[in-house]
Amino acid sequence: MLDLIAAMRTEGPRQALNLWWQEMVDEYDRRESAEGILFALPYLIAFVGFMLFPLLYGFYMSLYDWDALNPEQSEFIGLGNYQTLVNDPRFWEALWNTVWFVILTVPPLVILALLLALGVNRNVKGQTLLRTIFFSPYILTVAVVSLIWVELFAGEGGFIRYWLGFVMEDPPRFLIDPTWAMVSIAVATVWWSIAFNFIILLAARQNVPDRLYEAAKLDGASSYRMMRDITIPQMRNPLIFVVIITFVGSFQVFGQPYIMTDGGPRFSTHTIVMYLYTTGFAGRDFGYAAAIGYVLFLILITVSVVNYYVLSENE
Amino acid sequence: MSTKSFLNDIRNGETFENQDARNLFFRKIALYAGLYGAALLFIIPYLWMISRGFQPRWQLFAAEPYLIPREITFQWYSFLFEGTPIIRWTINTIIIAGGATLAVLLVDSMIAYSLTRLNWPGKRVVFSVIVASFMVPGIVNLIPVYQIIVELGLLNSYLGVMLPVIAGPIGVFMLVQFFKDFPDEIEESARIDGFSTFQIYTRLILPMMKSALTALGLFIFIWTWNAFLWPLILLQEESMYTLPIGLVVLQDTMTAQQPGLIMASALFASLPLFIVFLLLQKQLVEAVQMQGTVG
Repeated sequence: MLDLIAAMRTEGPRQALNLWWQEMVDEYDRRESAEGILFALPYLIAFVGFMLFPLLYGFYMSLYDWDALNPEQSEFIGLGNYQTLVNDPRFWEALWNTVWFVILTVPPLVILALLLALGVNRNVKGQTLLRTIFFSPYILTVAVVSLIWVELFAGEGGFIRYWLGFVMEDPPRFLIDPTWAMVSIAVATVWWSIAFNFIILLAARQNVPDRLYEAAKLDGASSYRMMRDITIPQMRNPLIFVVIITFVGSFQVFGQPYIMTDGGPRFSTHTIVMYLYTTGFAGRDFGYAAAIGYVLFLILITVSVVNYYVLSENE
Repeated sequence: MSTKSFLNDIRNGETFENQDARNLFFRKIALYAGLYGAALLFIIPYLWMISRGFQPRWQLFAAEPYLIPREITFQWYSFLFEGTPIIRWTINTIIIAGGATLAVLLVDSMIAYSLTRLNWPGKRVVFSVIVASFMVPGIVNLIPVYQIIVELGLLNSYLGVMLPVIAGPIGVFMLVQFFKDFPDEIEESARIDGFSTFQIYTRLILPMMKSALTALGLFIFIWTWNAFLWPLILLQEESMYTLPIGLVVLQDTMTAQQPGLIMASALFASLPLFIVFLLLQKQLVEAVQMQGTVG
C-alpha cells in the first residue's frame, strides 16, 4: 500500500495503479483468489454486518438523541450524550457498584482458581472427580445459577442463613440488605465462574516441565521457593490471560444482579450493563445507551492494557 | 499416587521417624481437607436445587431447611410440564443453539480454510481485523445490533438470536491455529490427483479436523444454550423464549411463592447440558483449554 502511494508521486496515479495491478496479477493466481474470497465471504458478511458495522453505527447513534421508532428523525446532538453521562449521578453510582463487584470477584476468581488447579494437579486421589466438580458450573446458564443462589440466600428457611445462625447472632439478610447484596452476588458469581479459570490454569500447570522441579529439588529448594521461582513465572502468560478475561467479564456483569436483586436494594447492585439495559430498553434512550456502551468499551480497553503492562513487567 | 504409597506416607507420618515424613503427612492432610472441603461446598448448590424441587410445600416453607427431603413429591414437575410452556422453550433453545452451532462450524471452517490454505490479496489485513475484534466486548454492540435486527425485521426470530453468534471471531481464530498445521504434502498430492478446492475442503480438511471442529461446536452450543442478555432483549413473545429467559420470567410470574417449581425448572433446564458434559467432558476441557492457549 505504501509502495503504491510512493509510486503515485513519482509515476503519476494512472501509471502507478497499472503497475500495482500488474503486480497483483503476477503475485496471485486468479482462480485461487476467487475461490479464497468465495470461501471467506459467508463469514465476512456476518462479521461486517454484525460486528464491524455495528461498532461504527453504535458510535454514530451515540451522537444522536436517537429515536428508536423513526431513526431518520433522530436529532444530532454531538457529544451531548457523553456530556450528560459525565454529569449523571446514576451512571457514577452504577460505575462504582461495578468496580465494587470487580474488586469482590477478581481476586478470588484468580487466586482460588490457581489454588484449586495447583491442588488438583498434585497426585491426589479422586483427581478426575475433583476436576469434574470444580469444572461443572461452567455448563450452567446464569439464570439457573442466580435462581439457585436466590433460594440459598433466602430469608425464611434459607440454607445459608439457617446454618450461619449457629455461628453468629443475627445472620445478614443477604439479598435485601444493601451492604450485603453485592457480596452475595459475588459469592454466587465466584462459584459459577471459577470453572473457566480453573481449567485454564490446570492446563497451564500441566505444561510446566517436571524437570524444572526435579532440578530445584536436587538443589534443596523449598516448596515456597519452587512456587515463586518456577510455578508462577512458568505460568505467567496463562495467568495474565486469566486476569484480563476475569476483569473484562466482571465489568460486564448483568444476569446475576438482574435476576437476583433487580439492581436493588436502593440501586446498590445496579451495574453499568444493567444501567445500559434499563436506559436502552426501559427508557428507550438508544443514543444514551450506545454512549454508555462506548464508555464501557474505553474502560475495558484501558483496564486490559494496564493489566497487561503491569503484569508483564512484574517478573 | 497409589493407595499403597499413600498408606506408606501415613505410616511414616504416624511413626514420625523424621521431620520430613511428618511434614509431608500433615501437608497431605491439609491438601485433602482443602480440596475435598471445597468440593463439598461446590456441590451444595446442586444438592439444594435437586432436593428443593422434590419437596412438598410444608418442607419448602419450614423454618428449618431440609437439604434431604423427608417426603418426596413430583407435583412441581408435573406442574412444570402441564402448566408452563417449558417444552416449547426447550425446543426453541435446541433450535437456536443447534442452528448457531452448525452455522458457525460451516462459515468458520470455510474462512479458516481460505485464510490458511488459499492465497488472495488482502487476506492478511482481513485476518488482522478479525483478531483485533477480540478486543470488542459484546456489550458495546448491543444497542446498534439490536437496531439493525429491528430494521431487518428479525426481532423475535431465531435467526436474529443466532446472527451475532455467527459473527463472533473466536471460532475463526481457533480453527486457523489448527488448519495451519494441516500437512501441505497431503493437499499437494490431492491436487495432483485432480481434487478441486471444494473437494479438498469437504473430503480432506473437514474429516481430518474433526476434533478441532467438535471442540468448537461444543463451545458454541453451550455458549448459545446459556446466553441470557441478547435473547432477553430480542425475544419478546412467550412462545419464542429460550430456557434461560423462560426460567426467569417464570420466577417473576410465579413469584417467590413457588421455590419448588423454580428449582424443578432450573434442574430441567440444566439437565441436557449436564448430560453433554458428562459424556463429552474430555472434549469440553480441551475446547476451553484451547482458548487459553489461543489467548
